[in-house]
Amino acid sequence: MVFTRCLVHGSSIAQMIRPIATAITLAALSPSVLTGAEPPSPPSRSGLHATNHWAFQPLHATPPPSMPGARTPVDAFILSRLQAEGLSPSPQSTPEILLRRAALILTGLPPSPQALQAVVEDPSPAAFQNAVEGLLASPAYGERWARHWLDAARFAESSGFEHDYDRPNAWPYRDYVVHAFNTDQPYLDFVRWQIAGDEVAPEDPWALMATGFLGSGVFPTQITANEVERFRYDALDDMANTTSAAFLGLSVGCARCHDHKTDPIASKDYYRLISTFATTVRSHMDLDLEPEENQRREQDWAAGHARTEAALAAFEREVLPRRFSEWMSAGAPIMATDWLTLDNAHVESTGGATMTLQADGSVTATGKNPEFDRYRIGVRTPLHGIRALRVEALADPSLTRGGPGRADNGNFALSDLRLLQRPAGSSNEPTPVRFGTPTATFEQKGLPVAAAIDSDAKSGWAIDPEFGKDHAAMFPIESSLGGPDGTELTVELRFDTNHRHSIGRLRVSVTTNASPQLRGPTASARDLAAVEAARTTPSSRRTEAQWTALRTWHRKHDPEWRRHVAAVEASTQAKPKPRVTTVMVTTEGLTPLRMHTQGADFFEQTHFLRRGDPNLKGDTVSQGFLPVLMKRPETHWQRPRLEGARTSNRRRALADWMTDPENGAGHLLARVAVNRIWSLHFGQGIVSTPNDFGLQGALPTHPELLDWLAGEFLRSGGSMKALHRLLISSAIWQQDSRPGSNPAATRAMGLDPEDRLLWHFPKHRLEAEAIRDALLSASGGLDARMGGPGTLDEQQRRRSLYFMVKRSQLSPMLQLFDAPDAVLSVGNRPATITAPQALLFLNSPFLRARCDDLADLLAVEASTSLERAVDTGYRRILGRAPSDGERQDSLEFLRLGLESRRDLPRETALQKALADFGQVLFGLSEFLTIQ
Amino acid sequence: MTPSLPPSLWSRRDLLRRCGGGAGLIGLATLLRDERLLGSTPALNPLAARPPQHVGKARSVIWLFMNGGPSQVDTWDYKPELARRDGQELEGFDKNTGFFTGNVGPLMKSPFQWAQHGQSGAWVSELFPHLSRHVDRMAFLHSCYTESNNHSPALFMMNTGVPRMGFPCVGSWATYGLGSESRDLPAFVVMSDPLDRGLPKGHALNWSSGFLPGVYQGTHLRPKGRAIDNLDLPPGLDPATQRRQLDLMARLGGRHREFDPADQALAARLESFELAYRMQMAAPEALDWQGEPESIRRLYGTDDKPCDQFARQCLTARRLVERGVRFVQIYSGGMDNERSWDGHENIVRNHSGFAAETDRPIAALLTDLEQRGLLDETLVIWGGEFGRLPIVQKGGTGRDHNPHAFTVWMAGGGTKPGVHHGATDEVGFKAVQDRVSVHDFHATLLHLLGFDHEKLTFRYSGRDFRLTDVSGDVVRSVVDG
Repeated sequence: MVFTRCLVHGSSIAQMIRPIATAITLAALSPSVLTGAEPPSPPSRSGLHATNHWAFQPLHATPPPSMPGARTPVDAFILSRLQAEGLSPSPQSTPEILLRRAALILTGLPPSPQALQAVVEDPSPAAFQNAVEGLLASPAYGERWARHWLDAARFAESSGFEHDYDRPNAWPYRDYVVHAFNTDQPYLDFVRWQIAGDEVAPEDPWALMATGFLGSGVFPTQITANEVERFRYDALDDMANTTSAAFLGLSVGCARCHDHKTDPIASKDYYRLISTFATTVRSHMDLDLEPEENQRREQDWAAGHARTEAALAAFEREVLPRRFSEWMSAGAPIMATDWLTLDNAHVESTGGATMTLQADGSVTATGKNPEFDRYRIGVRTPLHGIRALRVEALADPSLTRGGPGRADNGNFALSDLRLLQRPAGSSNEPTPVRFGTPTATFEQKGLPVAAAIDSDAKSGWAIDPEFGKDHAAMFPIESSLGGPDGTELTVELRFDTNHRHSIGRLRVSVTTNASPQLRGPTASARDLAAVEAARTTPSSRRTEAQWTALRTWHRKHDPEWRRHVAAVEASTQAKPKPRVTTVMVTTEGLTPLRMHTQGADFFEQTHFLRRGDPNLKGDTVSQGFLPVLMKRPETHWQRPRLEGARTSNRRRALADWMTDPENGAGHLLARVAVNRIWSLHFGQGIVSTPNDFGLQGALPTHPELLDWLAGEFLRSGGSMKALHRLLISSAIWQQDSRPGSNPAATRAMGLDPEDRLLWHFPKHRLEAEAIRDALLSASGGLDARMGGPGTLDEQQRRRSLYFMVKRSQLSPMLQLFDAPDAVLSVGNRPATITAPQALLFLNSPFLRARCDDLADLLAVEASTSLERAVDTGYRRILGRAPSDGERQDSLEFLRLGLESRRDLPRETALQKALADFGQVLFGLSEFLTIQ
Repeated sequence: MTPSLPPSLWSRRDLLRRCGGGAGLIGLATLLRDERLLGSTPALNPLAARPPQHVGKARSVIWLFMNGGPSQVDTWDYKPELARRDGQELEGFDKNTGFFTGNVGPLMKSPFQWAQHGQSGAWVSELFPHLSRHVDRMAFLHSCYTESNNHSPALFMMNTGVPRMGFPCVGSWATYGLGSESRDLPAFVVMSDPLDRGLPKGHALNWSSGFLPGVYQGTHLRPKGRAIDNLDLPPGLDPATQRRQLDLMARLGGRHREFDPADQALAARLESFELAYRMQMAAPEALDWQGEPESIRRLYGTDDKPCDQFARQCLTARRLVERGVRFVQIYSGGMDNERSWDGHENIVRNHSGFAAETDRPIAALLTDLEQRGLLDETLVIWGGEFGRLPIVQKGGTGRDHNPHAFTVWMAGGGTKPGVHHGATDEVGFKAVQDRVSVHDFHATLLHLLGFDHEKLTFRYSGRDFRLTDVSGDVVRSVVDG
């Protein structure tokens, strides 16, 4: 059963039916063959010989045929083909219809009433062109086209499989795609960034966001031991297959089990290709996604900070000397000192830690870190009338996480603080001191500072998680201490709450100030002695050092100077940190995002697997590409891994090969890109299978045009906006969409009912997201905020792009209109017409709420006349004025609606009738269709 | 053109491909194709009923999915040798076979009593006192095996033929091939656990249409509250006004058609609204099992614990197929371990509980279908995503996952009654005789519906996909005639 893992046509190819869509291409060879197709040549066992397939050939530089009257080269190609069939194009549509067509195609939103008014008043081509430029410049353009690309990228924000875990950091990829379209990123860079943004532009956050492309695929959340390898090969297959289908329009997955049946892709080449991703994993990076905002905030701060510092400097220069002189003139009174450190104390650790006095009056504990320690401090101070004790636990780089504790995480826990005192010189036993209510800079939850003075040895004061910072606690003393000669103090700190939770750097201070500040100025006993000596020395005999001591002391106690310094400190603390966003990237060498996996996340080596079975391993393989798209050996694009580099450079090589139009796959890449854009304008591609340019895919209806467009696209530097302008300016794009408008309608309908030759503009149905967005926009309720995390809330009013794409909880409304399930790359969506869709239009409360919104808008018009309300409804929803008949029908409906609600107040009845009417317009086929 | 397929299928493939190709609307494509080439097939609805490739007896399917993996050796696969070797090591056992690779215990006999039933003398454990009376209606596949030992990939394998996400499930393939015989009801309906035990692992991907158009996706009936979205009038709207809305829509549509006579999507859209309008009435009626006579409700046990919930679902399933719904799937059990048939810890407690919920309703369903003459054309399937090991999971009295063997039975819909196909080894560890892969099972299922599984294909991304990938043989011995 080894073949079962490979999804190939196998024997069913024998019954394969040539799709009718190719009939028209065959008509290129023989115009008479339009309704039937020849069966394909008998299939062979492998497609390896099929190297002459058109899509693998270089671009043909066919100049546009000379067609008099052709408005653009695009027209020349299309017209010449129509002419060859004896057909002609349809006339130009009205400006209103063209504007709605352009608005829906470019932005996925109906035109605004103002824009509509403008083209009605000025129907000139220049005015239309202006409107188109406005649409291309609108951010809604990127949102619309990003959604198209996300189909090809099978983008989702969850893992799928059994738990479908969220990927809450996957949305930045979506925002990157919007940004890329809005900034018209050159297409080759668009490709290179999604494959290898981390290798080609590692400094650019957008490029790193772009790598979300590779990691968007499904991945099991629960992997048993014997599935680890198989699922990793599945993941490689997902990355290679999505890359190949989205950019090159080729499915390589068939070659997993055997050489591709129809395309020239050998099994060994498949394994060489997927080995590109062997070490590529999903991971997280913190990125600065708002560099300008961050920079602006830092600049704002820096300007304010400079002003604060300048104010301090000016004060010190211009005001402080005068205040010092005044203070000296007044006899240099010693101002109240907030805190005096006990720096002349004897400190010991009962547990045997080494206690060392530091210059700032603190004591560090090093060496032995006992289970439970006690610090004892004995001191005699000249102060009396002591009113509070302060314990500081100071940060220190030598401690774990900067301390201030000695615990493994930098914490400490002070279980008990005891203070004994007696007047200096007394021989009485020291008496214990009772504290008032203590305060602290920070208290860990459940371990408040009050617990440091209860009698419970297991409770205490701690500071998790505020590590690496200075902390302090202040313990007020009710009765003042000491005698006239000073005070003898014994302080004991106990650390019994938790193992090895003593303080690593301790400073103890006292104050005579009855209402001190926890972080008030601090002086040491030595400073106080020095300034006292300087003060009492006659000024003529003062040394320079004594002057300095006086100045320093004064400054420190000058409230004005302290205010300035506090302002500078506060400003420094307020320096903004750059705001970063955690982004899911796909890269190498970072920690992979891990699932419940009974094994490794990836394997360095990729093996050739016989019949795709990890149990049938062949040799290991080295990176290679698809030989049919290589004029040079792979070494032409490969470069060695850089010394010490985090990534292998393999994805960069793949991207370089893919984007090389001369020697690599760049010509096919360009064809696939322009065909995608074409198909989203016309509802059908030049190649009607945008994800399949292989031998199973459809043939191009206009091969020369496709190649010419691809060439132009490359020459323009891969500008998608330039391509939009070119297409929209063509007469073909601006044709009427009604087959009946064509002068040769009958003949054309007979020859080409599917309009593959574009004898009229092909109507096509809007996609799910555009339908929902148009509902919100036309009823005036669209919330236009862009970007950021999405939501699962069905009632949200932002664009549908901002639904979080959770694979097990896809938006029911979007699914109803054929939104993909985000598992495999999708090239074009079906456009079904079903009864459940109609049920939504009939009964969905969300839809009815939009109709109520609309009714509120129309009610304003209805106050003038019902006709105006009807006309406005038509313009908002269908982008045109109603015909007389339509207006009459609508008015009759409104009149009946009012009549049936006679019993309600007229205003309410009118609101409801208008909502009923809006609901009818939303349900019309025309609303859902690009006309 | 292509002789191997009848034109109806040919045109479906073609029009779907063209819709996939972006040409536009199914309705439009169908109209053009049908008017030009076929003429007769109903035009607007991609779910219009279509004849199969050959005459199959089954017109519809009711698949009773025993979510979590019932143990074959405790239900339908009688192994006296397992009882004899109770407590012995299973020689040569690869510990990576199950999910809990560190909890490998010795062989454990079935803790249930077994007896033979019916004329065919089929052995059935005491878990199924009601179903054991129906063994002569059943065709047993005793030798099924699958590829994954993990719920989610194994569920995907059973439902889509691929142990990965993203592929169309059997119900989608069936409705893609046959359409629906009901004009007013969804073609493919899924019911899940109503007792807050969650959805099967992988959720809605188990009834996804994958790359087939979304119209073939299963309609999941919400287990609580209103079963289907948007069936009730929204606040502020009354039935008379809604009728007037539809009339105005038709009138305005008619005027637009004068403006563009070739706009076929318009007609399809209007038709879809009329269909929706009818569905508002038809769907609640079809789901109203309470309208059944007392005797029928008693037969199923709709008001008796613990089988009441599953009984209501089985009865609803019968009402749906009776009204032309093509494919119904009912999941027994939810998502988490031991909240489904996933009896890791205690096989007696687990299986007794889920058997008690399902035995009587399923038996009643067979009786009821038979009485109404519907069993011949309704294929009833019983099975899980894999089986369980004959050894005990260490630390309890349960069994771990086993991808190597499990039993599936089918009844009605053209199956041969009372037959047993294939066999496991003497302890029920691995399927050894006439092995049945999931592709074989799917091929058989499609055959009973009238399809050659190799010819029911869909072109996606350059490949002609089919439910059975590149293998699968119809198990002829269980097909009647």
